[in-house]
Amino acid sequence: MTDDRNLGVTIRGMTMPNPVGVASGAFGYGEEYEALVDLDALGAIYTKAVTPEPRPGNPAPRLADTPAGMLNSIGLANPGLDAFVADKLPFLRGRRCSVVVNVAGKTEDDYLRVVERLDGEAGVDGYEINVSCPNVAHGGLAFGTDPAQVERLTRRLADARSKAPGRPIIVKLSPNVTDITAVAKAAEAGGADALSCVNTLVGMVIDVKARRTVLAMGTGGLSGPAIRPVGVACVYKASRAVSIPVIGLGGIASADDALQYLLAGAVAVQVGTALFSRPEAPLEVLDGVRAFMEREGVGSVADIRKLLR
Amino acid sequence: MRRFDTIVTANRPVADGYRELRFAWPPDDGRRADDGREADDPAPGRFFTLRAGGRYDPALRRPFAFSDWRPSGRRPSGGEDGGAIAGEAACVFQLRGRGTAHLATLRPGDSLDVLGPLGRGFAKPPRGARPLLIAGGIGVGPMLYLAAALAADAAAGLCEAPILAVGARTAALVPVGLLPAGTAVCTDDGSAGFRGTVADWLASFDPGLPPAFYACGPAPMMAAVAAVAASRRAPYEAAVEQWMACGVGACAGCAVRLRSGDYVKACSDGPVLDGGLVDWEAMA
Repeated sequence: MTDDRNLGVTIRGMTMPNPVGVASGAFGYGEEYEALVDLDALGAIYTKAVTPEPRPGNPAPRLADTPAGMLNSIGLANPGLDAFVADKLPFLRGRRCSVVVNVAGKTEDDYLRVVERLDGEAGVDGYEINVSCPNVAHGGLAFGTDPAQVERLTRRLADARSKAPGRPIIVKLSPNVTDITAVAKAAEAGGADALSCVNTLVGMVIDVKARRTVLAMGTGGLSGPAIRPVGVACVYKASRAVSIPVIGLGGIASADDALQYLLAGAVAVQVGTALFSRPEAPLEVLDGVRAFMEREGVGSVADIRKLLR
Repeated sequence: MRRFDTIVTANRPVADGYRELRFAWPPDDGRRADDGREADDPAPGRFFTLRAGGRYDPALRRPFAFSDWRPSGRRPSGGEDGGAIAGEAACVFQLRGRGTAHLATLRPGDSLDVLGPLGRGFAKPPRGARPLLIAGGIGVGPMLYLAAALAADAAAGLCEAPILAVGARTAALVPVGLLPAGTAVCTDDGSAGFRGTVADWLASFDPGLPPAFYACGPAPMMAAVAAVAASRRAPYEAAVEQWMACGVGACAGCAVRLRSGDYVKACSDGPVLDGGLVDWEAMA
């Protein structure tokens, strides 16, 4: 058995006990899955997005079934910052896994408000900055495709940490760009401690019989195994363009899927859509990554990338 | 709730394009909720999700209401909680897309991946009220189970006898073999029973007692029942249908709009909601 220390992944002041986390939006605030998944066996929980004010989310239908994937247009539905701190954070506090709060907003000041408030709250290990949500009219993807804005926002958030300076700023990138390395470098220049690659791809499904889009909003974010090759390529490119760690996600359902990302250059992974089909998927991924490391004699997760020929 | 692998016990056509799928419900761990109910009680109105194809394609499990659940008669003597309960569960599904096409191919003995029981079920009717159960199309599934449960309650003197009305476009779409005796069948084309919609039937029906409405079906029918329930100042327990991803309240994908403009989650706030609060126009 590989010593558990070898599975740990440290980013700035946060040490995740293992490299397999659950992706933002797919796992709520953890409590919802408590009956189905041993939360303490996870590497990290990336929470559902938190915005300063409550957001009801987008009109329904918000979901569509697609080949080897799904389309969603949730619209960052969340109870808002105050309710997150009062109702959701207490459950997450003191977990063995790391707790990374996904931060979103319409304006730069919105993001800042969330980080500034959480800076004084115990139980948060890091921030994932959502500059890549395709389902909101302002903020989200509008930020994530502009390198100058990503750099400025990242710098403001990085500078906003005062009481808990060890918490990493992880910028979550969109694949919906011509050159992901330009945005990756901008985040690094702004002081990001890590990157998450990738958020969903913009997609649309049309109901031919009804002659209308299946999603009420028209477009949504495509996730699931269908986007895995896109995500692996983005991680491969981004991890070679920056010197900060990259966390891989997009269609990971098995250990081999995760290993593709780790070989491509990621130091950790997130499981999202696969949870919906199989809640135990992240733990199966972890078992498989651990077995691979034993078999290959790899000392740390970050060394897996060195095996790529 | 739990995710488990079980086996199919029956899968048969019950109407044109409709099938009943039955499967073994393995014993739970005997846990009970704080209020003494079974933590994993598969009650009428609650649902489960099935993996309908490969492990990750389709990526989304398919949600189905219980159309039946019966204990296998074995209640192992466990601790003070009474031990674990095994049984057989069922749903009625309509062939609609690739998920249900896969489910239609399952045969007795095939394995089945189940997550449940999920969601909030139907409330009991008020004392002295006549339970009126209205089903439209594939909405018949949860109403069959509710009708059976309320009939048993009525036989035990716990409530008034329920009345079930089932609507369909035409006779071939009515799962006649599953309906309890005395069901009011309504068809749009008059090929069986009452000619017209269940809403039309309801408008002319006198329940004799103050009614308590229960319904599951297409949005226009649900809206019509809402109007009748409001006019009679009667409670209305409405089971909604919506696409789902997680099924456990985490993803907010199965949003249902209320008349207040707020959204609730079909999976964890429902699927049974106060039908007077739902924005049925937004569901259409």
